[in-house]
Amino acid sequence: MSGREPRREDEGAKLHQKEELNRKIKEQKVVVDELSNLKKNRKVYKQQPNSNIFFLVDRTETLSECKNTLDDLKKAHQEIENSEKTKIRK
Amino acid sequence: MQAPGTASPLSAAQVGRLREEQGKVVTSCQEKIQHWRKVENDYEALQERLNTLPDKLSYDIMVPFGPLAFMPGKLVHTNEVTVLLGDNWFSKCSAKQAIGLVEHRKKHVRKALDDLQKVMKNFESRIEFTEDLQKMSDAAGDIVDIREEAENDGTETKGKRRTAHKPHSKPKVLDVFEVHFQENGMDTKSKGCSQSEEELWARLEELERREEMLGEFDRTPDTIEANGEDTTSSEEEKEDKTDLNVVHRVEDSTTQDNVQKEVTNSELFSGHVNGPSHYHSDDEDDLGVDHFVPTIFFSHTVEPKRVRINTGKNTTLKFSEKKEEAKRKRKNSNGNGHLVPELPNIKTPADIYRVFVDVVNGEYVPRKSILKSRSRENSVCSDTSESSAAEFDDRRGVLRSISYDEATYSDNSEGILEEEEEEGQEHLPKKLSTLSGTFEAFSGTVIEKEPLSPLIPHPSIAHPVLPTIPERKSEEVLSEASEETTKRISKFKAARMQQTN
Repeated sequence: MSGREPRREDEGAKLHQKEELNRKIKEQKVVVDELSNLKKNRKVYKQQPNSNIFFLVDRTETLSECKNTLDDLKKAHQEIENSEKTKIRK
Repeated sequence: MQAPGTASPLSAAQVGRLREEQGKVVTSCQEKIQHWRKVENDYEALQERLNTLPDKLSYDIMVPFGPLAFMPGKLVHTNEVTVLLGDNWFSKCSAKQAIGLVEHRKKHVRKALDDLQKVMKNFESRIEFTEDLQKMSDAAGDIVDIREEAENDGTETKGKRRTAHKPHSKPKVLDVFEVHFQENGMDTKSKGCSQSEEELWARLEELERREEMLGEFDRTPDTIEANGEDTTSSEEEKEDKTDLNVVHRVEDSTTQDNVQKEVTNSELFSGHVNGPSHYHSDDEDDLGVDHFVPTIFFSHTVEPKRVRINTGKNTTLKFSEKKEEAKRKRKNSNGNGHLVPELPNIKTPADIYRVFVDVVNGEYVPRKSILKSRSRENSVCSDTSESSAAEFDDRRGVLRSISYDEATYSDNSEGILEEEEEEGQEHLPKKLSTLSGTFEAFSGTVIEKEPLSPLIPHPSIAHPVLPTIPERKSEEVLSEASEETTKRISKFKAARMQQTN
């Protein structure tokens, strides 16, 4: 019984993490799509976290940044998937 | 593990509840950790931004215009940051300094996170333990609970003895015996035994009191003679205290000052008379009372009279009373004891005021005839000092010329003084200043009670003063303070008399 409870919690935490990751991946995908479809003369502003100020940023730079983060997120997601699979196999 | 007092200490419900509470703690810890992580992330983002902010001179930004609208703008002061220090206090600093501040705050956040992690781990381990316990209590096959019932009898009697013991607290010498007696009495196991012991106890008490009394008799005469006023004051205490228990008296006698110790011991005797009548040492107590009361009563009655007399307006009465009092004091061989402490106290006008004011509702209210009593009670030294400090320098030259006339006037004003205090206060400086003109070198001599006439510059005033001096001398032995005023008055009167003549 004592072993089961922490496992449940771990599972819950992992599930939560996974959901969060999926949400971020979706978000990032949208951002990348939007940025890649923008006209060249469009201005892109990025919000400073935890404030209401938007800083003007370079479109191409932001696009590449977003792609990178998307890749990272995908990797993390993949890792979680892999660990789950190995657990199931065990 | 824990026995909440029920028959089955490891009941499943209670263990489950414990487990629940521990789980709550863990979840709350997790929430807090999440919150702090978010704060830390915010700070990190801010730090990142501050790191790059001074890189450029200006930034194109969208300036928030209310919650929904934005305006294109420019950030120009890229190296100027106002940092909220807390409580709506801001400090202006550079980006680099702001980074330092952020780092400092991040440290704090990290510490909070670490603490929360520790708490969470602690409670997780507790949860494990509780679950193990639950398992054990569920499947209690080979596990036996071994318990021993604690016997509270010893502690209970102890506590009872102490509470009951307080009102009858005895000297420490008899503690052992006392304990025995009280225990028996409280336990009500052996009532007969306790009664016999009670008698024994009473006997011991009586013997002890006798011992104390014998010790007191030797000291008592000294007490009364030496104490003087102290005896009077302590006698009032004694009157109050006679209602109290004898035991308290004993404690008082041990705790009070050496001066009052004997007196309080005498209180002890009176307490014995008034208090417990079942004591067998009444005859001795009576002896003690007879021995003490007359003397104490004597000095006690003296005190209030004297005070009233001081405020009175009749000078002759005052004097006669003072003489009597002084005689009484001398009888008690207290002549020095009383006078010496009173006079040195008055060194400044403030002291005079303090001594001769009444306390009404916690406020100092000068007596009706404070000026007069003051002038009578205290030596001219204080008065002249007051006057010289206030007006002597200003009026000195003028007064020398006028003093003769003013002396007569001031004499009249003194008549007013006796009736109206406030008015008198206005007049007093005048009078005193006139005196100071005449008493210039005179203050010192007054203390010494030496003749004033040779020192007084004005012959017209000096002459009338002379005849008064012998009188004063005769009276001075009794109360030196009051003489000065009489001398003064007599002087003025004499001056006026001379003038009229």
